[in-house]
Amino acid sequence: MSNSRVVEVQGLTKTYGGGAVSVQALKSVDFHADRGEFVMLSGPSGSGKTTLLSILGCVLRASSGRLTLFDRDITDAREEELPALRLHLIGFIFQGFNLIASLSASENVALVLRLRGIPPKEAAAEARELLTEVGMPEKIDTLPRDLSGGQRQRVAIARALAGHPPLLLADEPTANLDGHTGLQVTEMLKELARTRGSTVVVVTHDNRIFHLADRIVHIEDGRIQEDQ
Amino acid sequence: MLRLRTVALAGVRMMFYDKLKFAGTLFGVIFAVVLTNQQLGVFLGLLAKNTMFIDNASAELWIVPASTETLQPGKPVSMSALYQARTTPGVLWAEPLLSGVATVSLPSGGSEQVTLVGTRPDCWRGGPWNLIAGSSSVLRRPDTMIFEDSERDKLGGLNLGSLREVNGHRMTVGGFTWGLLPFGPSYAFASYDLARELLKTPSDQTSFILVGVDPHADVASVRAAVQARVPTVQVLTREEFSRKIVRYLLLRTGMGVTFGTSTFFGLLVGLVIVSLTMFSSVIDNIREFGTLKALGCRTRDLGILLLVQSVVYGIVGSIAGLALVSRVAEGIRSPKMALVLPHILSIATVALMILLCAVASLLALLRIRKVEPAMVFR
Repeated sequence: MSNSRVVEVQGLTKTYGGGAVSVQALKSVDFHADRGEFVMLSGPSGSGKTTLLSILGCVLRASSGRLTLFDRDITDAREEELPALRLHLIGFIFQGFNLIASLSASENVALVLRLRGIPPKEAAAEARELLTEVGMPEKIDTLPRDLSGGQRQRVAIARALAGHPPLLLADEPTANLDGHTGLQVTEMLKELARTRGSTVVVVTHDNRIFHLADRIVHIEDGRIQEDQ
Repeated sequence: MLRLRTVALAGVRMMFYDKLKFAGTLFGVIFAVVLTNQQLGVFLGLLAKNTMFIDNASAELWIVPASTETLQPGKPVSMSALYQARTTPGVLWAEPLLSGVATVSLPSGGSEQVTLVGTRPDCWRGGPWNLIAGSSSVLRRPDTMIFEDSERDKLGGLNLGSLREVNGHRMTVGGFTWGLLPFGPSYAFASYDLARELLKTPSDQTSFILVGVDPHADVASVRAAVQARVPTVQVLTREEFSRKIVRYLLLRTGMGVTFGTSTFFGLLVGLVIVSLTMFSSVIDNIREFGTLKALGCRTRDLGILLLVQSVVYGIVGSIAGLALVSRVAEGIRSPKMALVLPHILSIATVALMILLCAVASLLALLRIRKVEPAMVFR
């Protein structure tokens, strides 16, 4: 494996359910992403791209195959080890933003930092800095319900970037945004990830943002059809 | 520690954010606090009414008939026990106390019963106390008695100087006590000799003997010494007699079962309400819990989050509930009904409510355990 390889899967399969009702979401998938890459996973609904992202994010176990994160084989990692891996190595951006409704924008960002052990004052300062970077300096104390969709996704990006995780995983980050905002948010994500040297894997079927990708991996019917 | 503070903060913010759920859960805790405290307050009030005589008699030892379980007089005690007690080393004083049920004839033609208590003049060991009109010394006057103030109407509109026939003898009302209402008929006081005459008790018998112990003597040793001299009767310390009465009321009268059952159901209903609202709150916020797991929280962290919420619910609900109960207690306070709410009950309530909320949160925790972080991608 290359030293710059951040994540790699080999022969990955994932089957949901069992017996006659089982569904094979991934069929012997090989995939990798290198340091600083901005990779997009595209494909129709039900193609298996979100399942692949879930496995890369250590929130879902594969049925078979190997998963390597930062040169560490975590295929057989114990369940108790996974939260710490996610906390320290991976930043998540979700389609529905998934901000904690009762926490302000800065508290949402600081939450991840504090869970990582950063003292409250430093965490709050870094959260403010990140929110300024994503263009939301005036919304620091605002609750998610008082933010627009685009603003919520910016907060979610700031949260994902908090603590400089080397791998960012985004699931349909533009799905709930209009075309213009979606493009703006993705450009911002790419720029911020680039300046931090983070690797980004984005699941999307939004062809308006494809031009921002370093690589587009097309999945269909649980198989990688194209890697360009 | 920082992690703990972080999840605690998130937990508190989450619970206050959904105000309706917060109010619902709080209602459950307040309901449990009010019901249990009201029931236990009434129960303790009734117990206090039945042990107040012992608490106020200032006697360290009581000589009572064998197998006595309450203050209701049974088989008489021989006056020879009084003299035996008085000559026992360590005994400071010993006084007889006569007690029995007497009938008061009413001007309307009916009659009511009182528990007539006869005590010796000057020292008046055994009462009267809590006097709101008159003084103990009025009992020195011939044919004079002191009655319970709250029973004045019941006894035909008593006033100071009113005349009533008690066990066929014409008596003058010389004073009133306040709140001396045991389970049975209210207390009425007369001098010892008058009470003996009214109750037709032979001069060599009495109901109880109160014994005061020298402050320098060991009560247990004096008790043993007196008991050795009067083997046919029981010698009990004040605490033993109180406990005996409480045990009797709890086990033999059904009071324990009645109040215990209502207290239990108060707690149970509170537990169910808190449990369901906390569970429903978790279901409503299931995506947030999934997100927290995806971001790196462990199930243990989320358990702490729920525990913190439980503690907050327990404390806030207890304080609100206790404030409400004390208001109720003030409102209904009367000689016949008094809620006894000792500080230890308040402290126990807070602890119990925190425990109740923690137990109630287990259902929510079971749900959180099953939350897959992968749900955030669906």
